[in-house]
Formats: sequence, structure tokens, C-alpha cells
Amino acid sequence: MPEAAALELDGVDIRYGSVTAVRELTLRVGRSEIVGLIGPNGAGKSTTLHAIMGLLPVHQGEIRLNGQPLRRRSAESIARAGIALVPEGRRIFGDFTVEENLRLGLAARRRAYMGDPLAPAFELFPILQEFRRRQAGVLSGGQQQQLAIGRALVSRPDILLLDEPSLGLAPLAVDGIFKAFTEIRELGTTILLIEQRAQRTVALANRTHVLVGGELRMTLGPGDAENTQKIIAAYLAT
Amino acid sequence: MRRPPGAVTELLGPALLVILVGVVGTTASASNEGYFLNALVSVAIVVAIYVFVGISGVLSFGQISFVALGAFAAGVMTVPVESKKGVLTSIFPLLRDHSIGNVPSLLLAAALGGVFAFLVGLPLMRLSGLAAGIATFAVLEITHNVLREWTKIGPGATTLALVPETTGALQATLGALVAITVAFLYQRSRRGRLLRASREDPAVARSVGVNIHLERLLAFTVSGALAGFAGGLYVHLLGSITTEQVYLELTFLTLAMLVVGGLTSLWGAVVGALAVSGLDSFLSRAESGVHVVFTFTLPQGTRLVFLAAIMALVLILRPSGLTGGRELRLRWSLRRWR
Amino acid sequence: MTILASIDLQTLGDAFGQGAIYALMAVGIGLVFGVLRLVNFAYGQLIMAGAYTLAYTSGWPVAASIVSCFAVVVALSLAMDRLVFRPLRSSSPAVMLVTTFAIAFLLQAVALIIDLRDGQLGQVASSIAPLNQAVSVGGVDVRKVTFVAVGVAVGALITLALVLTRTTIGLHTRAAASDFRTARLLGVRANRVIAFAVVVSGLLAGAVAVLLTVQNPFVQPDFALEDTIIVLVGVVVGGIDRLWTATLGGFAIGFVSVIVNAALPTDKTVFLPSVVYALVIVVLLLRPAGLFAWGRRAAVERV
Repeated sequence: MPEAAALELDGVDIRYGSVTAVRELTLRVGRSEIVGLIGPNGAGKSTTLHAIMGLLPVHQGEIRLNGQPLRRRSAESIARAGIALVPEGRRIFGDFTVEENLRLGLAARRRAYMGDPLAPAFELFPILQEFRRRQAGVLSGGQQQQLAIGRALVSRPDILLLDEPSLGLAPLAVDGIFKAFTEIRELGTTILLIEQRAQRTVALANRTHVLVGGELRMTLGPGDAENTQKIIAAYLAT
Repeated sequence: MRRPPGAVTELLGPALLVILVGVVGTTASASNEGYFLNALVSVAIVVAIYVFVGISGVLSFGQISFVALGAFAAGVMTVPVESKKGVLTSIFPLLRDHSIGNVPSLLLAAALGGVFAFLVGLPLMRLSGLAAGIATFAVLEITHNVLREWTKIGPGATTLALVPETTGALQATLGALVAITVAFLYQRSRRGRLLRASREDPAVARSVGVNIHLERLLAFTVSGALAGFAGGLYVHLLGSITTEQVYLELTFLTLAMLVVGGLTSLWGAVVGALAVSGLDSFLSRAESGVHVVFTFTLPQGTRLVFLAAIMALVLILRPSGLTGGRELRLRWSLRRWR
Repeated sequence: MTILASIDLQTLGDAFGQGAIYALMAVGIGLVFGVLRLVNFAYGQLIMAGAYTLAYTSGWPVAASIVSCFAVVVALSLAMDRLVFRPLRSSSPAVMLVTTFAIAFLLQAVALIIDLRDGQLGQVASSIAPLNQAVSVGGVDVRKVTFVAVGVAVGALITLALVLTRTTIGLHTRAAASDFRTARLLGVRANRVIAFAVVVSGLLAGAVAVLLTVQNPFVQPDFALEDTIIVLVGVVVGGIDRLWTATLGGFAIGFVSVIVNAALPTDKTVFLPSVVYALVIVVLLLRPAGLFAWGRRAAVERV
């Protein structure tokens, strides 16, 4: 393969004490791709993201960003290397203004750009610009999710990791953020998306991996989105 | 009745260690015996603190209040009547005109400590975390302030002297054993186990119907009674005492002993008290020249520097304490210390 | 209203002065707690070290003496972070607190040894004492240092508020205090934020050292120990979870102590600690999360 994938996991084992949560996970996320990762609760999806971010140690195998191994780096240095996580539950700072939340995202920015540094967020979600002086805690759930995504984007990451971004959102808000993912991809940012909404994820992503019991069970393409039987079968395989 | 495994060593380990220290203490020279007795009384105080802080997991800076109350009650009530009229001129006539014996004074100290702890705990045990720490600290401050300034109940800011020095090797050893046994019986009881469970997870404990407030109050009261008792032992060891001796420094030192030994086990409380007391005694001796292979002398005042530095080092390198906060187990116990 | 009658303007001035100094200490303690979740009992020994520096440099020009006081305190604050706080970061709150007791005793014991070299306890910081003189304002005698204390406190708090709200490091520090893990995930550098908090906390301790030494130029190893304990109590009573509630708590306990002291009959002032600490208990029972912490569960529950 001529070019290294943006993000690679190579035979990764992740353990909590003596319990192996993820086993020999190998997956590649190429540039400007959306790769989905779906699976039942407790399958090891969030665990995988936490390991990528350096919050959990990798017991075996290697995680590489643009060909460079990430072993033993702290969360903050991985963030500044170009991986941005939109954590589960959004984790916005409710007491801070929208603008302050976005400016926090700049902590991981690798270099200065021309113009308004918050532009990547405002262009995608104009509502954030309108509400920039408001307290983030008073925004609606969908707006808070937009803020969390915007906050990750202002660091202009190579890769965006999303941990169940649609969780707890109204259907309309879900439509909004899925539309945003397409736009983010078109702007050249790579996405690794963890979701419970299997069908939508399969339809959106270039590839979607199904993780069950800490192991990869199946890989689905956009064509499989209508094949509900196949998705269900993948979930049930144990 | 079948005993749970480990119960034997859980009691016998600390008890034998204390007896050993007591026996070695009797063979030591007169000038050194004081160090051993002091260590044994420290065990009693630290075990008293452990019964509440260690088992409930709630921080308290207030247990020395009960030690202070016990010490002054036992002290004031055992000074011979004929001496009292001369030295404790302003106290209530009831206290001035009566004196009691050694053992009754220890029981009185324990009773007062328990009652005081119960009354204080009644409102305070609703608190947890830092709020509990500060509220119990406020109790210490008030107790100290009242003991120091209210001359109708004691000597006030002056030294209480002429207290019979009845805490010898036997009383110190037995006293420490009593504290250890009470602590053991309590932590092995159903109530004690419930409280420990609530330490691990208060929400779950509450959801299965444990009344945490009540359980904490019980532990606080038992701890207060033991602390009062230990205060009685302490005053009979010293023979004379001021309010400053049962205040901040003792609070920090005994808490440090507990944490250094391992906050969450009886074994840790005993080991911590003995280890820190032993170190302190060694350093005191070293300041006046000690002979270990060759003679060396520490400069004056360095004892506290070393003591504090070593305690800090232990806490930094072994945050769970010397024993790891575990009880002593029979098999491979020495090897499994870590 | 006998209580109010016994409070004159002079008392009020003293109360503000005391409250101001305690507020500065509260900020110093609260900042470090915010980012490290560590109650630094050894904060008073930073102030003590500053006071000794002032005493030993009494012969120098006042400005040089004050600068060296700040330098010593900040250096000691950073050393404390590197040698003690950093290895303790994953320890339980009880262990952290007890370790800072040990450090406090260690520093006090070191001070005792240094202090006793000339055979007498205590040093006098004479050069900055003139600030302690009284000036007459509208017939009321107020010590100059009271104005200085209030001025320094107000200035320092406004500056700090601006830094925290208007600068990047301030934003990062607030984020770390609110949710450290998420802040790090966003690329906030933990060590930089902690160093910032530790340095600011040290600067405040330096300022407090100067103010307290002016009030009481006789410096001993337990200098500022009692003040630190009272401020720690005030900080928890006010609400340690947030910087501004902690600061208010520090101010309140200093202010209230002076007022209660003036309100008590002269022969009962020895019971001042009992009255103040009884108030502390009442407030904690009514508002365990903090007197000024409205509608929010505080971090105290976690400790």
C-alpha cells in the first residue's frame, strides 16, 4: 500500500486487569474516510477509543497515526498529535460560554491558521456563532452535541473520533449531525464513528466494522445498509 | 460456631505484637521503658481512631477531643483529694472533694468519651468528606478551647500535675489489648461489616437498607469511648498533662500513624502506631547519641525533620501504607505484606 | 442590638483587613485544590518561609527584601509540587492531606533548626514594620497595613479574575478545575496548568507573608499556622469546589472572627474559638456543600 493509513490498529489487545476487553483488533482508517464501529453494549467500542486516546494502556499490538506509533503517549499529547475525540456524553463545560468551550478545542491545534480560529465550527454549525456568548449548559442536547463536535474540529485534527454522538438526541438533531459528518469528510477530515444506530452508520460510512465481545466479527459496506438481516446476524454472532 | 478464615490472625497478630512490645519494654532500662509505654498508648489511640476513620472511611480530626476529655477526666478525678484543694482551686466542689481509683478513672474516661462522641455524632454523622473533616476539627477546637479556658472543670491553661502514674508495662499492654479486642469484635460484627460495606459503596449500602447515619454514629461512639479510655491511659502514663498535649500535634501525629500503617486495617493501625513511635524514639535517642555498631549523634532538632521526612516518603512511595491496608493473614503473611 | 453597638468603624476596618488577607490565602489554597483535588495543609509554611526571608533580609532595601520573599516562596511552592504533589496525583484525598501535614511539620522543623542557630527563638522583620503605624481617618485610627491589605487583596483578585477569564492559560486552568480528564483530552497540558496554579498560589502566599509580617514582625516557626487552619476551615465552609465560593469563605471567616471578637464581652473573648467553630458546625450542617454554593452538589462529597 503506497500511503500509510491515517489511523491503524494492528493486533491490539486491551485489558482491564486480567480481563481482556478487546482482542487482536486490527483496523485501518484511510484518509478522508468515515469508518464505522458498531456492536452491542460492552463490545469494547468505547474501550477502543479510550485506548487510541491513551487513556487505557495497550497490552499488545500497536496503534499508529500516519505511520507513527502512539505507544505510551499521554492523552494530551495524542490530542495535540492530531486526533480529536468527541467523548460520550459530550462533556461540554456547562458553566462556560459557547465560545470558551470552542476556544478550549484550540489547545490541541498544531499551528495557527489565517482568519477566525473558530471558523471550522461556525461554518459547519452557524448556530454556535449566533449563541457564542451563551452559557453552554443552557443549549439543547443537539446544540450541545454540535458544540462538542465543533470544539473537536477547531483543532483541525487529522482524525475525528466520535463516541456515540447520537445518543439521547431527538430524531431531527440526529439528522443534523449525520449530515455534518458527510460535510466533515468532504473537508478532508477522517472519521472513526462509534454508534448504536447501526443502519444509519452502515449507510454513511465507507466501511463499518461490527465489534462483538471484543473481537471484530464482520465488515459491512454501504450496500449492506438495507440488509437488516445481515446486521442483526452480525450482532448476534458470539 | 465456625469462624471465618483469617479471624484468628486478624486478632492474634496485633495482640501478639503488642504483648511482645510490652514484654521487651519491661526488660528495657528505666530510661528507655517510657518509649515502649508511649508506643503502647499510641496503639490504643490509633486503634480508637481506626474504629471510626478506618472502618467508615469518613475523615475525622476530632477523635483527639475524646482523648483529651478522657485524659482530663481521669486525671482530675485521680489527683488525691488533699492535693486537689491546693492545685485545682477553682473547680466545682463536687470534683474537688472526690477522687476515684485507677481502674474506675479509666472506665469513667471511656464512658465520657463515648457519651461525648455520641452527642457530637448525632448531628455530625450526617456529613461526609471534607465537610465531616472540618466539622470534627471544629469539635477538637471547641474541646481544646473549653478545657483550656474553663477552670471550673480542670486546670485550665496550667499543667495538671500529681496524677498517679499507674500506666506501667502491664496497664499499657492490657490497655492496648483492650482497644484492639474491642476494635476486632466491632469490625467482625454484623454492624461493623455493614459500615465497611457502606465505605466501599454508600449508594449500594443505602439501597439495601443500611442506615449509614446510624452505623456511622455507632462507630463514632465506640471510637469515642476507646479514645477516652486511651486518654485515661495516657494521663496515667504522663503523670502531668496540659491541654496542648492532646491537641493539634497529637491529632496529626496519630492520623499520620494510621495512614502510614494502612488506613483500612486494624493491623495497619497497630503497625503504624508502633513503627512511627519506634522511629520517633530511635530519633530521640539519636539526638542524645546512640550506639549502633558505632556511636553517632544527630544534631538537636533534627528528630522532627527526619520523622516528618520519613513519614512523607512512606506516603509518597506507599500510599496504601506499610501493610497495604490489609489484615494480617496466617499463610505467607510476611511475604504477602505488599 | 447590643452586638452592633459594640462594633465601631475601627473594628470594621480590622475585619475587612483580616478578611482580605484570608481571602488571598483562600484563593491560594482553592486554586491548587481546583486542579489537583489536594488540600494543601502546608500552605502556611510557604508563608512562614516568606516571613523568615523578610526577617533575614531586614537589612536590605525594602523592595529587594520583598522580591526575595516572593522568590523564595514561589520556588518552594514549585518544589513542593514537583517532589510531593506530583507523585501523589493518583492517591486518595486522605493520603494527600496527611502527606501535606508531614510536609508542614517538616518545614516547621527545618525552620526551627535554622532559627535556633543564634540560640534564640524568633526573628524580627523590622524593615517593613513602619506600615503597621496607624493613620487617622475621620477620627478613627486605622493601621496603614489595613488599607494595604484590602488594596492588595482587591487588586490581586481582580487581576486573577481577568487572567482566568481573558487568557488562554486561565481558560485552561478553569477547564482543568472543572473536568481535568476532558481538558486533557482536548489537549490542555496538565503540567502547565498545574504549574500555573502552583506559581499563582505561591505568589499569593508571598503577598500574604508580607502583609502578615507587617502586622506581626516577630517571626517564629509556627508563623501563619493558625491562620492557615482557620482559612482551610473557611474555604470548606464557603465551598471548596469553586474558587469564588472558597474565596468568600476565607473572607467570611476572617471578617466574622474579628466581629465576634469585638462583640463578645471582654471576659469572654477567650472563648472566641468556641463561638467561631460552633458557627462553623452550624453552617456545615445546614449547607454541607458550602455556604455560598447554590444549587449544586459539591466535590466535598467525593473526598
